[in-house]
Amino acid sequence: MKKISRVRWLLPAALMAQPAFHAAYATQYMSLAEAQKAAFADAGEFRALPPLDAAVANELGAPGWSPQMFEARTVDQRLGWVIVDRVIGKAELITYALALDANGAVKSLEILEYRETHGGEVRLPAWRKQFVGKTAQEPVRLDSDIKNISGATLSSRHITEGVHRLLQLHQRVLRAAG
Amino acid sequence: MLRTSIPLAALTVGLLAAMPARADEDTLRKELDALRAEVGALKAEVNQLRATSQAAAPVATTSATTSSSGAAPATAAAPALADRTVASTPPVPAASSGIVAGDGTRLWGYGELNYNHPSGRGADAQADVRRAVIGFSHAFNEDTHVYGELEWEHAVVSADDAGESEVEQLYVEHQLNPAIAVRAGLTLIPFGFLNERHEPTNYYGVERNFVETAIIPSTWREGGVSVLGTTDFGLSWNVGVTTSQDLGKWDPTDPETRASPLGAIHQELQQAKAHDPAVYAAGNWQGVPGLTLGGGVFTSKVGQGQKDFLANGARLTLGEVHARWEPGPFDFSALYSRGEISDTEALNLSFIGNPYPVPKSFWGGYVQAAWHAWSQGDSSLAPFARFEEFNTAASFAAVPLGLGVPPAETQKVWTVGVNYYLTPEVVFKVDYQHFDFTDLVLGYGNRFDLGVGYQF
Repeated sequence: MKKISRVRWLLPAALMAQPAFHAAYATQYMSLAEAQKAAFADAGEFRALPPLDAAVANELGAPGWSPQMFEARTVDQRLGWVIVDRVIGKAELITYALALDANGAVKSLEILEYRETHGGEVRLPAWRKQFVGKTAQEPVRLDSDIKNISGATLSSRHITEGVHRLLQLHQRVLRAAG
Repeated sequence: MLRTSIPLAALTVGLLAAMPARADEDTLRKELDALRAEVGALKAEVNQLRATSQAAAPVATTSATTSSSGAAPATAAAPALADRTVASTPPVPAASSGIVAGDGTRLWGYGELNYNHPSGRGADAQADVRRAVIGFSHAFNEDTHVYGELEWEHAVVSADDAGESEVEQLYVEHQLNPAIAVRAGLTLIPFGFLNERHEPTNYYGVERNFVETAIIPSTWREGGVSVLGTTDFGLSWNVGVTTSQDLGKWDPTDPETRASPLGAIHQELQQAKAHDPAVYAAGNWQGVPGLTLGGGVFTSKVGQGQKDFLANGARLTLGEVHARWEPGPFDFSALYSRGEISDTEALNLSFIGNPYPVPKSFWGGYVQAAWHAWSQGDSSLAPFARFEEFNTAASFAAVPLGLGVPPAETQKVWTVGVNYYLTPEVVFKVDYQHFDFTDLVLGYGNRFDLGVGYQF
């Protein structure tokens, strides 16, 4: 009996242990729900949008790219979008959430998960604030309208490129939809 | 971040709950069969989900109930099948991605190859694989990593060659909470701009600057324990207790002690004498984008308690401050560092007659300006100029009249050149260095340099 009762515990444990169910090892700074709520406190719903069309991903220079897109809504109105994407920092992935207002301007940028201590300065609020208000019409380029963080150049550069790409995505797909 | 999707967690809990507390073996067997079937179904579901969302982000997990009204975006958020392989997670910039060597394991590296041509002394021109470095990290779990860097200098290491092979960093890091981490092992002292971030793409000019090699002995590493963290107002801090230098290694006949006093007595955790612990504290404030203000202090006794050693009371204290401002395409930085070694009188008396006794003080500083003048796509061109002033033996403890050596002359070096970034991670460098005075023994002399470096 003892053996079987152990099995009872091992089974779910084994399920949990399946690699596919592990999120990548990371320090989570904010959950998606928290990021959504922080950006759109009034939203009643964050409607998940269908995955990005492969052709569009190709067009944006990122074959296979599949950011998670949510539309923030009240009952009868679109408030904006929250998009979750990942870029590489130095060697590990950084997960971040970009909130866009109804006009497609950046409302906030939150780092959700960061997996290395080097370059973690991209989490500094003052640095992330630089993106607020940016639209697809602006360069959103490191050392141009976005200032670098000394010592965290790769993370800064890759997040800046990521935000730039998401703004193009909005311009190309989200703005028109709905 | 060991999270599972809600449906899975719910099913697992459901399965558990469904099991009666007391059951005979028959029923248990039936239940196990049922469980097997359920697991099979789950596996199928997982595979299906995996297929439909290959690169789903690892965030929408147990927090899948993302809406304040409770309307879960089930189709997109639930399949949080965080895929740990970078390769299937586009669009990560390929140029900089570490290589995935296995589950939770990463490789990276950097290297530089240099050519130095002393002005008017063509016979002394030299080309060198300055260093090739392989770095690795492995995640044991979400909070615990090991980091290492293995380095080869000067291409060939053997009994007959000048090359060195070294473990440059090797430490375990544990994240206590999102803001604070602890490291134990061989770590870099977080001083100045170069010591921690010494990849060739991170500095201007073929050679590392003099102040951060002669005064701050880059790449300076010690063994010990450190605690580091960040705060929301922009301060990154790092404090530690480590091994330190060994003054017993001081050779008063060796010009290396004059070229870099601390470099000459470093231990690099090579069977390091560990009698005297060092403490250090360092920080950087980056609360305004584009601006970095930082500094640090390191202090330790350096006699290492050796029997009959004449300077067991000697204390090394090294401090540095630095600032960097990057407005638009410009990049300005400045750094000053000063070190002192106390209680060297008796030791230096025993060195009388030798050219290089232990200095009481040494210092250096530089200012640097660079301009990202041109860029196209990934490529950019950055001309720069740097002025350095340093003195590796600015003063000595008093010795009986007539028996001491005079303080060293303060060296001044101008470096003017260009970094050409083919991509942000591949750099070609050219520069010219002008020295205030020539001292070939210490490696001072006008020269023209070429270099290529990379990191990945």
